[in-house]
Amino acid sequence: MNENNAMLRAVGITKRYGDFSAVEDLSFEVRAGRVFGFLGPNGAGKTTTIRMIVGITAPDEGSIQIFGHPMSAGVRDRIGYLPEERGLYKKMKIVDQLRYFGALKDISGAEADKRIDYWLDRMGLAEWKNKKTTDLSKGMQQKIQFISTVLHDPDLLILDEPFSGLDPINVEFMINVLAEFKTKEKTIIFSTHLMETAERLCNDILLINRSRKVVSGSLREIKQAHGKNLIAIRSDGGGAVLQDRSLVKNVVEHSDEKQIEMAENADSQTLLKRLIESGATITKFEQIEPSLNDIFIDQVGGAK
Amino acid sequence: MRKFLAVVKHEYKKIVYKWTFLVGTLLFPVIGAGFAIVPAIIFSLKGEPTRIVVIDESNKIAPRLKVNLSTERLSERARNAAKDQTVGLGGSQPEQMKRGTDQMTSGFEFVPHPTEGKSLDQIRRELNERASSDEIDAYLLIPADIDSSEAKFEFRSRKAGDFVTNETLKDALNQAVRSQRLAEASINENLLKDLSQNVNLESKSINDKGEEKDSDMLFIASLVIGMMIYITLTIYGQVIMGAVVEEKETRIAEILFSSASPFELLFGKLVGVGLAGLTQLSIWVGSLAGVIAFLSTQSDMSSIVDSLPSVTPLMVIYFFVFFIVGYFIYASIFALIGAMVTTVQEGSQFSFPPIMIMLIGFYFGFAVIRDPNSSLSFWVSIAPLFAPLTMPIRILAETPPFWQIALSVFINSIAIVALVWLASRVYRIGMLMYGKRASMPEVWKWIRQA
Repeated sequence: MNENNAMLRAVGITKRYGDFSAVEDLSFEVRAGRVFGFLGPNGAGKTTTIRMIVGITAPDEGSIQIFGHPMSAGVRDRIGYLPEERGLYKKMKIVDQLRYFGALKDISGAEADKRIDYWLDRMGLAEWKNKKTTDLSKGMQQKIQFISTVLHDPDLLILDEPFSGLDPINVEFMINVLAEFKTKEKTIIFSTHLMETAERLCNDILLINRSRKVVSGSLREIKQAHGKNLIAIRSDGGGAVLQDRSLVKNVVEHSDEKQIEMAENADSQTLLKRLIESGATITKFEQIEPSLNDIFIDQVGGAK
Repeated sequence: MRKFLAVVKHEYKKIVYKWTFLVGTLLFPVIGAGFAIVPAIIFSLKGEPTRIVVIDESNKIAPRLKVNLSTERLSERARNAAKDQTVGLGGSQPEQMKRGTDQMTSGFEFVPHPTEGKSLDQIRRELNERASSDEIDAYLLIPADIDSSEAKFEFRSRKAGDFVTNETLKDALNQAVRSQRLAEASINENLLKDLSQNVNLESKSINDKGEEKDSDMLFIASLVIGMMIYITLTIYGQVIMGAVVEEKETRIAEILFSSASPFELLFGKLVGVGLAGLTQLSIWVGSLAGVIAFLSTQSDMSSIVDSLPSVTPLMVIYFFVFFIVGYFIYASIFALIGAMVTTVQEGSQFSFPPIMIMLIGFYFGFAVIRDPNSSLSFWVSIAPLFAPLTMPIRILAETPPFWQIALSVFINSIAIVALVWLASRVYRIGMLMYGKRASMPEVWKWIRQA
């Protein structure tokens, strides 16, 4: 990771509430233009960390720099934050609420109105503009909350459990909107416990458990590092090669293919080469990656 | 600064651009006027005249009594009583009661009853029968020897609870008997009346400039001002608390905190709601001034206007200054409570202490009216928390030297700074604590936390 590329750098942050430490000596970096998944079981310290990033609370120890600066009003205006616990004013018109949230991010007047109209239209909520919160369904309210997060076109988007409470159609819709942000070179940090979603969206992940970092890095590296080196093979012949204990630790027969667990320190490329040399016909040779879900359960469950 | 103004604008519009604000602003003076007018209307309602039989065995009293109870006499009495009531509002309970009854008297109709050759018991029986058959409402038996100490005047009425009629009759009868006794003693009644005239004690207070003020009107005006401050402070304190709790309850606080500093948010809220309160108060004060200006053009009302305490523009300025000071003191206390609790209902329980303090301040106001220069008046009008309620009353009663007003503003401004500081500390942490109400030790910890 190159230093200039780090949009956010947290060094040794710790947050304690009395004797309980919510976050303990956590360090990580978020690279510009990437989607950063912040994963962990409930109570791991995700929300506490996010609140420190956004500047709602300050860490007891350690430091956080965003865009190369400590938190300030200028930095704050470039961040869009969607908290996990979120709400709207009950008896206020949608458009007035959005104008207020915009004004708090220094977007006002005609520019704000233009953006509000754009986003309401985009979310299919244009006709609800002058309605009150109480008239909206929960899903609609979540979309309004999302609009309030992105209204000022932030460079860094921080979303705490953005998909909780959304129906599958809206989850899909939101993923598409986020994917669009990704193409606009915006940085997105989001926390979730939905591993499939994280797997689809994230470039980098940080997995924390019990206030501490468990795993971090790019999704690719992590998968490789945590793979058990499994290979799926569909072939005719080459049976002798698979018997070689220096290469293959174990073979599990499936209906039309075999799942091979490589021996320690054995290289899958050597196996492929040996199979070809043995004259086997290979129709499938695939390195099986562990799913993020597997890694999550493995790491978090193992720590318990 | 722009964000602070955005918060101010938001809070102001949230209150003022609502029909409830309009209704509240208009309704308060209407209710106030209602308190003044409705009793007068009720008192002016007159009942049916009382049908009464007077049996006069002395043959001396009845004619005088009939004169005393004639319609002309009664309406003259009512007029005098009404005049007394507007000019002198003070007075003891019985005096006020009497004025009320004098105004409400509905008149008497004298019904003849033949008495020749009947015994007193027979007459009584007959009259009782007439009363129970609803021919008459009451009868009065006047004994033959009115001067004897044994003499018993018997009054029987179907409407024994009608104290108005009873009082009126008693007055008229006493007068009639007294006149008769005076006449028998050859004393000129008019001369006696002139000689026993009460002195006319006109009570006015004098201020430093040698101006005179009507003390009754001063009392009323102070009461109105005190009430107005107390009510607006309570209402807007609750508004602040409600707004804080709403943002906490709906979890908006977290979004707000990621956009602006807690101090900007809290202070913006205080100022925005305060401006809304000031708007309302200006409308009230303005319309009050308008009503007084209108009344003074009406010749028959100008005597009332003249008796109002003189209010200078400087007093109005002081009045607003102390409203603002009081508002910031109590609003920050209410904001602090709002950040501690989780629901508005919980907050209402906790708003008892500040409301109590305001009420005590309001009652100190009475002591201040009685003696604006006492040392008690001095201390309560500069004491933090009490001053916003007592100083305006003191200024109205007798404007103290400027240094005392300045000292009061100064001391209370320090209190504001301290309270806003405390409130913003509690606000910053309390707003993110969901689920349960904070205990006092916890709040203390928040305050100490950097």
